[in-house]
Amino acid sequence: MKVLPAICPSCNSQLNVKSLVCERCQTEIQGQYELPLLARLSLDDQSFILEFIKASGSLKEMARLLGLSYPTVRNRLDEIIERVKLAENTRENNRKEKL
Amino acid sequence: MTEITANTKAANGNRLSQWLFNPFRFVAGFRTLLLGLAIILMSAFVSSLSNTHFDGVLDVHIGFEAPLWIFFAEGLINWICMVIPLFFFGLIVSHSSFRMIDVFGTQALARWPYLITSVVMLPEANQRFGIYLMSRFASTAASGTVDYTDMLIFIFAMVVAVIMAVWMVALMYRAYAVSCNIKGARAVVTFTISLIGAEVLSKFAILSLLS
Repeated sequence: MKVLPAICPSCNSQLNVKSLVCERCQTEIQGQYELPLLARLSLDDQSFILEFIKASGSLKEMARLLGLSYPTVRNRLDEIIERVKLAENTRENNRKEKL
Repeated sequence: MTEITANTKAANGNRLSQWLFNPFRFVAGFRTLLLGLAIILMSAFVSSLSNTHFDGVLDVHIGFEAPLWIFFAEGLINWICMVIPLFFFGLIVSHSSFRMIDVFGTQALARWPYLITSVVMLPEANQRFGIYLMSRFASTAASGTVDYTDMLIFIFAMVVAVIMAVWMVALMYRAYAVSCNIKGARAVVTFTISLIGAEVLSKFAILSLLS
């Protein structure tokens, strides 16, 4: 499966979605759509978040599933939180620049 | 299986080296605390057989005979003197919330290389050569005789003791970085201050205990 790129390989800016297509009838919608916040994270981070939700938000359960220690998993979550905050700030700044 | 597990397994690549130099990636918490304390007490017991004193966070000295509880107390004082400043630095410096049990447990387990040190100090040749060296330094008549085998065993034990000390410091640093989620210069500076402070504090505490 192809990986959805979130960052421009040319200038490192955030990529937007320009067109969406219906696989069934081939209807195509064009526009400028921002990628959702979670889609801007790496696949590894997205998978971690999914597993975290499936574990009912229990870090202990996550640690057991991954065979890692509790602080290691908690540190990983803290890193993702930092990246989400950064992505939020970047999105806000981009919006302000456009206005 | 899910991608995260696959990715994590890939990241774990060299699991053996991780277990040797950063076991806290895999273990922490209450069971680690119990294991760490058991190792500290076991090291104290083994070192008591050769009168080897861990009379400071990093110190290893061949010394005088003492009751077993002194050896246990030295091990526990060294651990407590190191863990308390690290815990408070963690509270001040870390941006994460962390568990006290992880800091105390990982620091206890980080002292396991000194179990190896206590084992290599067991041969009587170490004591004989140690006493011989001290009498040479004190310029007094050497008590007993030593031979080349004693010297070789003593040198081997010293080399192993130095390696174990370096390994233990590396483990203590990793334990601090993982359990308090502190990285980079902040981690290095606060750990170094804690280590120096703990060394001084533990020396005073053990000296006052012995006196």
